[in-house]
Amino acid sequence: MKKTFNIILTAILMMVVMLPINAQDGRQRTPETIVEDVLAQMPTQNQTDFNREMGYLAQSAPKSIELLAGMLQVAEKHSNNLIEYAISGVTAYASTNPTYRNAVRNGLNKAIETAVDATAKDFLKQQLRLVGNEEDAKVTYTEHEGAAPYAAAYDKLKSLGENAGNEVVKALKSKDHAYRMQALKFATDYNLVNDNLVKNVVKKYNSCNNEGKIDILNWLGDNKVVSQKDFLKKVIKKGGAPASAAIEALGRIGGNDVADELIALLGKENSDDAFTALKSYRGDLNEKVKNALSKSITDGNATANLDPLLKLAFERRLRGASEEVFEINDKGLSKEALKTLSGVVSPKDVSRVADKLDKCPNDLISDYQNILTSCVKSQEAKKQYETISSAIKQASNKERFYSVLGATNTDESVDELKNIYESTKNADALKALTQSTNYKAATTLLEAAKAGNESALNSYVKLVNANETSNDRKYTRLSEALNYAKSSDMKKTIITSLGNTPNRNSFLLVGKYLDDKDCGYTAAAAEKNIVSKTEEDIEYEVMQTNLTKAMGIYKNHGTADDGYAVDEIKKMLTELEPVTPFVLSDEEKKEGFELLFDGTNLDNFVGNKVSYIPINGCINVTANYGNESNLYTKKEYRNFVFRFEFCFLRSGVNNGVGVRTPMGVDAAYDGMCEVQILDHDAPIYAGLREYQVHGSVYGVIPAKRIKHKPLGEWGEEEIRVEGNHIKVTVNGEVIVDGDIKEACQGHNVAPDGSDNNPYTVDHRNHPGMFNKTGHIGFLGHGAGLKFRNVRVLDLDKKTSKKKK
Amino acid sequence: MNLNRRSFLKRSAASAALFTIIPRNVMGKMGGANDFIAPSDQLTRGIIGVGGIGRSNLHFASDQNCRLVAVCDVDKKHLDSAVEAAKKSFNEDVKAYHDFRELIHDDNVDIVHIATPSHWHGIMAVEAANAGKDIFCEKPMTRTIGEGKRVEEAVKRNGRIFRLDTWFRFKDTFYGLGTDVKPLKKLVESGLLGWPLKVRISGATGFTWKFYWTGKENLEVQPIPPELDYDFWLGPAPYKPYNVHRTHQTFRGYWDYDGGGLGDMGQHYIDPVQYLLDKDDTFPVKVEVDAPQQHPDAVGIWRKITYTYEDGCQIILEGEGYESQGKVPYIEGPKGKVYKGFECTIPNIQEVINELPDPAPRNTDYLECVRTRRQFALNESNGHHSATIVNMGVCALRLNRTLNFDPQTQLFINDEAANRLVNQPMRGEWGKYI
Repeated sequence: MKKTFNIILTAILMMVVMLPINAQDGRQRTPETIVEDVLAQMPTQNQTDFNREMGYLAQSAPKSIELLAGMLQVAEKHSNNLIEYAISGVTAYASTNPTYRNAVRNGLNKAIETAVDATAKDFLKQQLRLVGNEEDAKVTYTEHEGAAPYAAAYDKLKSLGENAGNEVVKALKSKDHAYRMQALKFATDYNLVNDNLVKNVVKKYNSCNNEGKIDILNWLGDNKVVSQKDFLKKVIKKGGAPASAAIEALGRIGGNDVADELIALLGKENSDDAFTALKSYRGDLNEKVKNALSKSITDGNATANLDPLLKLAFERRLRGASEEVFEINDKGLSKEALKTLSGVVSPKDVSRVADKLDKCPNDLISDYQNILTSCVKSQEAKKQYETISSAIKQASNKERFYSVLGATNTDESVDELKNIYESTKNADALKALTQSTNYKAATTLLEAAKAGNESALNSYVKLVNANETSNDRKYTRLSEALNYAKSSDMKKTIITSLGNTPNRNSFLLVGKYLDDKDCGYTAAAAEKNIVSKTEEDIEYEVMQTNLTKAMGIYKNHGTADDGYAVDEIKKMLTELEPVTPFVLSDEEKKEGFELLFDGTNLDNFVGNKVSYIPINGCINVTANYGNESNLYTKKEYRNFVFRFEFCFLRSGVNNGVGVRTPMGVDAAYDGMCEVQILDHDAPIYAGLREYQVHGSVYGVIPAKRIKHKPLGEWGEEEIRVEGNHIKVTVNGEVIVDGDIKEACQGHNVAPDGSDNNPYTVDHRNHPGMFNKTGHIGFLGHGAGLKFRNVRVLDLDKKTSKKKK
Repeated sequence: MNLNRRSFLKRSAASAALFTIIPRNVMGKMGGANDFIAPSDQLTRGIIGVGGIGRSNLHFASDQNCRLVAVCDVDKKHLDSAVEAAKKSFNEDVKAYHDFRELIHDDNVDIVHIATPSHWHGIMAVEAANAGKDIFCEKPMTRTIGEGKRVEEAVKRNGRIFRLDTWFRFKDTFYGLGTDVKPLKKLVESGLLGWPLKVRISGATGFTWKFYWTGKENLEVQPIPPELDYDFWLGPAPYKPYNVHRTHQTFRGYWDYDGGGLGDMGQHYIDPVQYLLDKDDTFPVKVEVDAPQQHPDAVGIWRKITYTYEDGCQIILEGEGYESQGKVPYIEGPKGKVYKGFECTIPNIQEVINELPDPAPRNTDYLECVRTRRQFALNESNGHHSATIVNMGVCALRLNRTLNFDPQTQLFINDEAANRLVNQPMRGEWGKYI
């Protein structure tokens, strides 16, 4: 890249070489050098860098601008991006400073004259607008000569200013609905609404047809004209379509008297309109509704306004009217009262509601359960549990209370319900558990799901989604749940949940459902989601296959959002890179190195190939802590050079390289040694001993402590073992170079035969230390790292070769 | 029997006095719900732009309440396939136009549906308003603040009914937030969260900024496909040599036509917030950006955009990959926080919400608004306001600096360059349309 610029620069320099160079920065750089340096920084990544680099360009303007503009190539060469970044950047930067502004403007003006093509010229002109004077920036918007029939009226009104009010009133005579509304809206928009105008508009009301009347009523409401409440009330009395509009308007205007008026309308012709207005009424309705209900009760026979009043009490949670609602329910005046109760009860009503729940006929059980749940809703969970528990003690039909108990979602309630279900298989207890949001309910729900209860499974999945924070654990739970799903709705729910569990395992599992005729679309969405969110590596080939399938599914589905999804997946596909196998350098080849892992397969290894998987050129380690099975080289080695690259993905990763070790033992003690692999920079290792840091011959020779590269970046390591000598080199730095026999003065085990060996740094016995040969192994202690480019030089083979 | 109503209207407008334009209902009686709808009461619609969104199931429709009668596109393939689809799906012989001006001035079209890339929205909306047409415009409303202002003026001046097409302020689950806007509005309005509020639109609160809508630098020059009138497609935008990535769908990645994921999704996400914060009639006073330097042509990514209102309320957009980690609130006030799924620090929130009055009623049926001439819930005015929030962010990104905004003048304060982005030049004749 730099080379090209030099060539271009030289060309320009040859043209301008005779010009005096007057602008130089503190570092005595010429504008040419500045331009070259700035281009190397394009585009900047933050405002600090941006301001610094653009400052250099601005200081050396207009020269820098001419130089940059001179580099612009014709559009066909499609090579201008860095220059475009620089020019648009300096223009934006200079636009706030008068001195720079002028200099940049001069540079642009000159450059426009000599611009290489129209595209470049347009671009420079656009930039000039940002630093140019008013003339440079002028944009004239002349009136288009097209027809604008409605605008003429508006312009007339506007020209009349404050006197437009009269014209607005006159406009109401128009038979054109659109025009009338335009005039009314005009008055609103231009603050012409005053008492006088309102009076004159209302005067016109009677002469209008219904449509015109409604327009006026809407307008009064939209402008919250308080002075016309009485007028609106009169309109309501007359009924018909305008009454509806008047009620809406009255509701918008609001006020204490409006509430009374609206409540009085309930149960009458415009009850629904009044109800809607009351729902958004700002103010306290408790007292008013209480009185209205009480009056209805006194009036005896079920009055027409009873149901809407009850509905309102429910919707607005008018607890002040609860006594009246109880009374109406007890007297059987309205069926609506039962539902209303759940909206108006409070803790003081617990005992009477509990009593009803205990004794009511079967068809009312769920209603009273809801009402009892509502009674305690305002209390803290623990208090809710206590209240309901004590209510159960006095009840004779205890199972009727289970769902109320479950709704408290307390640990105590879940434990109690689980005990009941597990010992009696009581269906009410299970149902109560399915409604719980407490994760403790999960185990019981899963058992019930295994036995075929899909509603339990559904609740289980919900709980897992809401509570599992680790993707690995969430995947384990969901994949098990998927085994028990029978209906395709259930499967879809779980597939979507897996889509929100973005790891490799989820991707592989969901992929199996792409061909399913019911779940395919859901699976496609989940796959797309996983790829966009996951931080794990997924095999290139599988991604390619599954995403291509998913794209096809979206294409066939064919809505607008599907089009977006297709584009998104297309982009994902173009970003996939196939693995190119690693090859030894010529030098390593000559030395006799052999490849153990070239990125494609683990054929040279034995052992745990479940937690060590080749993905996209790397060995991905997913072995969980305590999962002790390791990966070993197939062959055994005595003296060797072992080279590999490693990359930490999570903070605190722990692994190790076993040397001259048998399989299936702890290489640090029963092998010759373990060379530690550890993200020792992680805060959790603050108390680490020196023989445990990365590169240490574990427990025997401490390594020099290095600073690891950031997570996600690759480090290089070489372990050289010859006889008892071990040398460890990380990122070019030797951090261990010593003889293990010397390190423990020959005492790999305690001379007194005890477990306490004073000669090793970790005071432990290392019985395998003097093994003659053995495998090289990766010793897993948890997921979150990758290895690649693993190769070995067998020094014994090499010497024997030489001997021949 | 579809009378040529519009030419009749126009004639009467021209010949009659100022206020005597004959309305549709003079020629046909209002029908009841099950009545036959007389042609003069049936609304008609023409779509400009039948590529992606205009051809989607969401919009490509025709029924007896509103018939699709015309389509327009400068890509012949799109146009032909739309005509064919209209015949197949609705048995309609729709008129096919290459030039949107002909569709707008087609007397049989009542409602002009603008489904083009956004660099056309302003010109087309103003032209449609002047022609006395009602307008259904896809988001984002306009590509610049100045165009938005002029659309608002033209719609008002001509008394048109304008709908901006995003809907979360009045219906549907709000993307990944797991709730619709209504309970949030009730909560905010109640004051229980305190004031001022901070709203975070982020991956962490359920939104995605679609950063795949970024542009490419150094585009190769490619031959223009024969079916596409590229010069017309560009219209007011500066002429740049053709590359397929500039056009259909991927046009969103270029500043000349749109503003990437922010342009594409911004108004969807921000408009409901403007409603929640009750800011329909004002604008933020400051916008701050944290982003890599933007290329002058190709839209890039950004990390964070912060808007601040005069009263201290803030809207924070967090770019993909740069969002807050873990559980962060969607709305945060001095007295409480609301998270995804309407989880709230206020105990028993669902019950609390139930006790609050509903938000003020709004008109959310566009065809009904056209018939009754009442303003739609999301219209030329509040739509221009939320589009301006998006466009303020675009200006700040392109200039890579903090900008201060004056809500009264709708101009940036002490920043002439930024104000030159408020109004931008148009190529050729197009400047005279807006």
